[in-house]
Amino acid sequence: MSYCVNCGVELDASARKCALCNTPVLNPNVLEQIAQAATPFPEEKGQVEAVKRKDLGLLLSLVVLATAVTCGLLNFLTFRKEMWSLAVIGACVVLWVILIPVVINVKQPVYVSLLLDGGAVGIYLYMLTFLTGSAGWFWGLGLFIVLLVTGLLEVFTFCVRKLPRSFLTMSLYVFTGAGLLCVGLDLLIKHYLGGVLRLGWSAVVLTVCGILDVAIITMLSRRRLRNAVRRRLHF
Amino acid sequence: MGKAQRKKEQGQNRKAGGQGLREQAHDRTKKGDGARGSRREWYKLDLSAIVYPTLQRRDFSSVYRLSVVLKEEVQPEILQQALDMTLPRFPTYKAAIRKGLFWRYLEPNNRPGPFVQEDVKNPCQPMHFKANNRYLVRVYYYGKRISLEAHHSLGDGTGGMCVLQTLTATYLRLLGHGDIANEGFVLDIQGTPDAGELEDAYMRYANAKVCPPRQEEKAYRVRGTGEPFYTLNIIDGIMSVAQVMEVARKYHATITEYLNAVLLQALLTKQGKERHVRLRPVKIAMPVNLRRFFPSITLRNFITMIYPGVDPRLGEYTFEEIVEQVHNYMRYHINEKLLRGDITTNAATQRNPLIRVVPLFIKDFVVRTFYTRVQDRNSSAGLTNMGAMKVPKGMAPYVERFDIYMGQPFSRRTNCAIISFEDILTVNFASSIVEADVERYFFRKLVKDGIHVKIESNRE
Repeated sequence: MSYCVNCGVELDASARKCALCNTPVLNPNVLEQIAQAATPFPEEKGQVEAVKRKDLGLLLSLVVLATAVTCGLLNFLTFRKEMWSLAVIGACVVLWVILIPVVINVKQPVYVSLLLDGGAVGIYLYMLTFLTGSAGWFWGLGLFIVLLVTGLLEVFTFCVRKLPRSFLTMSLYVFTGAGLLCVGLDLLIKHYLGGVLRLGWSAVVLTVCGILDVAIITMLSRRRLRNAVRRRLHF
Repeated sequence: MGKAQRKKEQGQNRKAGGQGLREQAHDRTKKGDGARGSRREWYKLDLSAIVYPTLQRRDFSSVYRLSVVLKEEVQPEILQQALDMTLPRFPTYKAAIRKGLFWRYLEPNNRPGPFVQEDVKNPCQPMHFKANNRYLVRVYYYGKRISLEAHHSLGDGTGGMCVLQTLTATYLRLLGHGDIANEGFVLDIQGTPDAGELEDAYMRYANAKVCPPRQEEKAYRVRGTGEPFYTLNIIDGIMSVAQVMEVARKYHATITEYLNAVLLQALLTKQGKERHVRLRPVKIAMPVNLRRFFPSITLRNFITMIYPGVDPRLGEYTFEEIVEQVHNYMRYHINEKLLRGDITTNAATQRNPLIRVVPLFIKDFVVRTFYTRVQDRNSSAGLTNMGAMKVPKGMAPYVERFDIYMGQPFSRRTNCAIISFEDILTVNFASSIVEADVERYFFRKLVKDGIHVKIESNRE
């Protein structure tokens, strides 16, 4: 039986230190007893049982697969004029890939999910090139937009998950992301149309976002200002 | 509930004034008010239970834990057998929660389980509604301890204690200790659930003529390093009831008032050491068992919250002043009239036809926002006192003590729960903060007052 020299409480026979103040138990007479004594709580940590969504995953996969196969067969056997089924099959693939982290593999990292979503949308756009007749728009514009949006989403997700999160910081991420997206779109469209690589309409968006970002950064760095904004904008 | 029905209920209550709670429920049932003998297909959530599922997060559920420490090692196979025999007696505990368009509800759950499992280091883990075969109760064993964890939407501590004691009695009977009577918290597992046990007692008593407004002010919130997901720090203080009562008497207070004052002083000390620009009032959220004031045998939620506290902005409080403040607050607030007004205010929103037709997802959003922004900030810590536990005579020789944990706090803070059995009083702290400052100040004050405290913890 040991007592904490700081708190004066009796400690459990298995305690190596006081749970209240972390003072170690230094009683040479009971060292062996501590090692042998049963702890009041188990050592093993428990984990929450995952919700089983296998059935839902199977159902959704089969519905999506059935839709894709049926449309493919209809296109191949009955309505043969155009390759319209590619649009439906592509949409089914995109839907299925988006649903993977929701119902099939809930432990899939969000970054991988976003990458797969971007890949699926890219494939879908490529399939559409068979309908439109030319693939130029895809290789010149579509692919780069998908890459840009996917990249920005990955960075945004990283910021939201790993960096400090509050109303102000979230606004900062959103405005920065919106500004960069508009600049990227503007430049890509100009490049595709063969124009000069110079900012057009996106310069206005970038300026507005830049001003808002500077204002938010100032608020974040000045505690008094930050508190005043929180007070006035609380909801 | 319509006016006519309310009047009928009041009449019945008056008529049953001098009878015991159970006789009263029987009386009510005979008059055709309940549905004794006929199992219902589903149950509406009670007034408190409506809130708990809306607060559900990936890392939070309103789960509480009740434990009984026996004098001999627990045998898991027998315990499972006892659980299988006991749970059907409690239809609102052998239930799953489901979503309707406007409200959630409980429906009987006939899936296999729940299964007893070896205890874990981090109790009161989140309870996802679709996991664990949709059961909202868990039963653990570890050494000599049997623990029951239940989601708060099924019932409060009194209901949970009925389940735990009935389960323990059944377990002990299976071990051959047959002389345990069905009395107090131990119910007859062969019997049919009484309609009174399954009722939403709030709606029966929420009949004050006015809805008193509530004063809400942001209280001090404990600062500290948050623990990662899957961690719940527990510190149990075990002491003698006689010793604590003697000290409480010195301050002219009851045990609850004294321990409440000690916790308030611990929180005041913590706030004082944190160097706040602006001090805030220190308040404790304390559930009051309404069964003491309104006759009911319900096993579902029937509690309301009161918030005893002190405001350090008014000046420094001595411990004696804190005790006096808590004592006066409780004397003023804990009476049938004010409590009736309080539950009427709570029930007013649920009775409002305009609110009732709002779809569930909007209700969820509004309730969650209100709870996060107002209700949760209204108190600095939680404290509940289950009081002195009584068990049937034949069961007492096998029971060492009881424990109760309020579970994972919604926001970073410490919750304290008190329960006693014979001469053992346990104060159980459950916290999601790394630092144990509040607990340390609390127990050091008890030691200073001459109380012998033994500490048990799951902290590393």
